[in-house]
Amino acid sequence: MYRAYPYILLFFALALLQVFLFDNLSISVYLSPLVYVAFVVLLPIDVRPVVALLAALALGVAMDWTMGGAGINTIATLPLALLRRPLLRSICGEENIREGGVPSPERLGRGSFLRYLIAMVAVHHLIFFVVEALSWSRLPYTLGRWLLSGAVSVGFIWLIAAIFTAKRISKS
Amino acid sequence: MYKLIEFLRRIFVPLLFVVFEVCAVVYYARSSDYTQARLLTRSNQAVGAVHGVLAGVRRYFSLAGENRLLLGRVATLEEELARYRRMTADSLHEALLADIGPKPYELSVARVISNSINKSRNYLVLDRGLRDGVEEGMGVLSPEGAMVGRVVACSERYAVALSILNTAFKASGKIAGDDYFGSIYWTGDDRYRVRMRELSKYARIEEGDEVVSSGFSQYFPADIPIGFVESFSLSADRMSYDVEIRLAVNVSQLTDVILIRNRDLGEIRDLEFKARTMKN
Repeated sequence: MYRAYPYILLFFALALLQVFLFDNLSISVYLSPLVYVAFVVLLPIDVRPVVALLAALALGVAMDWTMGGAGINTIATLPLALLRRPLLRSICGEENIREGGVPSPERLGRGSFLRYLIAMVAVHHLIFFVVEALSWSRLPYTLGRWLLSGAVSVGFIWLIAAIFTAKRISKS
Repeated sequence: MYKLIEFLRRIFVPLLFVVFEVCAVVYYARSSDYTQARLLTRSNQAVGAVHGVLAGVRRYFSLAGENRLLLGRVATLEEELARYRRMTADSLHEALLADIGPKPYELSVARVISNSINKSRNYLVLDRGLRDGVEEGMGVLSPEGAMVGRVVACSERYAVALSILNTAFKASGKIAGDDYFGSIYWTGDDRYRVRMRELSKYARIEEGDEVVSSGFSQYFPADIPIGFVESFSLSADRMSYDVEIRLAVNVSQLTDVILIRNRDLGEIRDLEFKARTMKN
């Protein structure tokens, strides 16, 4: 329970960033970063699966409401709650994640955290953009959006993870 | 019994995931642009004020550009005014008489407080709502008078408009000065261009021609600028042209818009409804 408050703050900070900053980027039609996914990425490794699922549901529903997504954010976010543990296990090994903690470059190592982050963002963005386009004829455009937006999201989530975990380290 | 409980405990989370995911998929499948616009309208009850402040900041930085635009507009109007002044009193009187009668379209203005261009379905959120006389079905134009979108949902204080950069947006367009018309739509991959299909192969078309609204739409009057022909080719069945159009408006730069209401829209819809029910 002692970890709940930083995560509540993170939830609102990410939602605000997404709605007021990243949703209003007018640089390119290919650039639509979805950084709110950082909330699921940064959930403690040892969080109970049902809690992770409910957190992903709350995040998806909140983003659908604020972005006018009509379910698309929920569809893309829910699978992450189920995938994060198997992904962490396959990337870092069972031994490494048994002790729990917050996934971060310090905790998992830069390479492992980057692989985990890329996998999570790739799955989320792929589901989001494919469901949004729902068209084979627009596949090159969808893949372009997936690659560019995904790369930018990974960059920003890395920064967010650094800030989030740095605060926790300084507190402890 | 213990095994059953153990089994249920093991599949509880995946089962819950399937239930949530199916609910989300069903909701999304049943949603329409109207659903999405309604969601945006509702969320703007909460976050609209912040959007308004941010839009105010953006607007401050675009003041110089807006001033240039206004000066251009003033110059055009001055020119028109001078032309009217040159008219004799009689002919002016006649012109005014010819203009008497209820105008079918009513104009008002609104500020853009939120505007996306990086999704397949982009919307504009405007700071005018039902209490300001904005209603569903109003056309949205840029300050220069070019087509931007149409209002699809309203709350008391805000309105959400389907942008011309929305794959669900459709409008009827034609080459200026010609009668053949086609269907305008956005492909989703270029914020500066839309396409027109089903333009008759008998239409007179050249690169650089202006594309305007045909007037067959219930939302826009005729001859509203849409853009300029950039390229065109005959369709696969060689019966019509597919036209690439460079938009007259840069949607991402919009800070203010003009709303246009067709006063006859309700009457037209009633008539259409009656015709449909008579058919059935």
